[in-house]
Amino acid sequence: MTRSRLVVLSSLVVVGVGVVGALGALYLDPARAAVGPLPAEGLALPSDTRFVLGFDVRRFVDSPFYRRFAGDRQGPGRAPAFVDLEEKTGLNPERDVDRIVVAGRGTEKGPEGGIVLASGRFDRTKLSRAIETQTKGVTTKSHGGTTVYLFREGSRRGAAAAAFLDDDTLVLGSQPSVEATISNHAGGKAPLRANAGLVALLEGVKPGATFWAVGDQSVLSKLPLSLPAPGGEGASVAIPPVKSVVVTGDLDPVVALEMTGEAADARAAQNLADVVRGLVALASLQAGQRPELKELASAVSVTTDDTRVHVNLRVPYELLDSLAPKRPATSSAEPSPGAGR
Amino acid sequence: MRDTSRPVPFGRAARGVFDLALEGMVWSRRSVLMAVLVGLPVVIAIIYRVFLPAQLKPRLTPFELYGGLVVFVYLRNLLPLVALFYATALVADEVEGKTLTYLLTRPIRREAILAGKFAAYVATTLSLALPAVVLTFFILLTSRGRAGLGGAVPDLLRDLGVLALALLVYGALFTLLGVLLKRPVIPGLFFLFVWELVANLPGYLPRLTLTAYLRSLVRHRPAEEGISEIFGQVLPSALCLEVLAAAVVVFLAAAAWIFSTREYVMEQ
Repeated sequence: MTRSRLVVLSSLVVVGVGVVGALGALYLDPARAAVGPLPAEGLALPSDTRFVLGFDVRRFVDSPFYRRFAGDRQGPGRAPAFVDLEEKTGLNPERDVDRIVVAGRGTEKGPEGGIVLASGRFDRTKLSRAIETQTKGVTTKSHGGTTVYLFREGSRRGAAAAAFLDDDTLVLGSQPSVEATISNHAGGKAPLRANAGLVALLEGVKPGATFWAVGDQSVLSKLPLSLPAPGGEGASVAIPPVKSVVVTGDLDPVVALEMTGEAADARAAQNLADVVRGLVALASLQAGQRPELKELASAVSVTTDDTRVHVNLRVPYELLDSLAPKRPATSSAEPSPGAGR
Repeated sequence: MRDTSRPVPFGRAARGVFDLALEGMVWSRRSVLMAVLVGLPVVIAIIYRVFLPAQLKPRLTPFELYGGLVVFVYLRNLLPLVALFYATALVADEVEGKTLTYLLTRPIRREAILAGKFAAYVATTLSLALPAVVLTFFILLTSRGRAGLGGAVPDLLRDLGVLALALLVYGALFTLLGVLLKRPVIPGLFFLFVWELVANLPGYLPRLTLTAYLRSLVRHRPAEEGISEIFGQVLPSALCLEVLAAAVVVFLAAAAWIFSTREYVMEQ
């Protein structure tokens, strides 16, 4: 073999080893989900689910956003609700909850169709005892061997329910939805896979996002189809209908939001992009009063890709600070304890 | 015993030219310079990983930096330059060195000469570029542990494919320029750094560039500013692949036809 062929072969080996290593990392990735970012238990959600949103609690808690805006996490500045919750149930959401998935079913089901899946590490005994002893009007029933806690049983809106799908997953929602999810999970069924449209949207979600949401046309049909035009006097700007939307967001190292909306055709996508650009331009017109708004407007980019419109927003934390209302400086302005005596 | 009245079969001839050209290309000063250029993003990745997180608050995640390096450095600048300097020289170097006569007087078809040389160009440039991209990916994506590495792997595979396609299509174009023009580098630079800017204009004009199709194939969408941001458009993947494949075939066919019919007169 000539020296040149050896060089080419060595390069191929480097690329080959890299690709095999990368595929190994993909295969062994602990965060590898069943469909896109949705965990395996999420596939037990009913097939008529119309939107799903996810929230990576661990990433959120570790983010600069949380460090800035949540105050002292474990000390005296901690939210009283969290302190109370931990005392009663042993659950510290910042420490014990890994991920939350919220799903909504067909609009005809109303708010009762919503389901929440919370994954993490739960002290089942303490949590169950807390539900049974400290919640008023709670009853229990067994559904396929799983204990279901029912709240507001007999009310006109129907009972709310909570149950452990397994040691690590808590499901909450309306009684029929929770029971359907338990049955699907116990039977090893994955009815969500039958919802090909939603599954396709989930597969398009950027991996590793702190929060994400996907929704199909039935959810978006409730959105207004026009906006008041800047000229006023009843004038309005028509918004082209959106067939689906995918949103992903990250909080480290900047607040980043990426939205992709799918319009009916390329022309509608262009119109939609123009509407968004118009709104961004309106925001920058306010820059005379608040210069930081101009910076915020320039943090938004809008592009089209055939029938899709991509909106990207990247906001540094310094900009968020400048947009936040100014709080009076307490340390210097506050009178000293002895003052005024 | 081979029938000496007939030319050497195309495949054998092309392989022979490939071996000869590969030896000349890999062990050349041009390759050293190109290796340094292509290795720059690896150095940037090392600097980011070793120094920046400690010194400065990074505005970019490792994955965003990797995406920026792929789109702006490799796809838009480095690989087209690599293609320009190698592919325009495939025939021009032989003409300049007055060694083309030795090739043309062999009993081999001229198309086989061009095919062997183009294959050597592809092997050399892929050997330079792809390991650098893989190294950049791993240096950056493992800077915060293994978290997020698996999710980014589909992008790495896609990027490797698109960068290889970029080397093919720019290589085919500059091979054509190399057989067509006496001094192809200046028109090549004009194409890369003036004409390709048309990709940022509105309407159908971006479809007259190669970069618009190539950048539409990668998933990284780094935020751009000014006019590029306003008119940025992403073309459908199927269209991009069709156009780029057609461009490779047309450019190479045209280059082969010109090379096989052109009369080369060596200056004394």
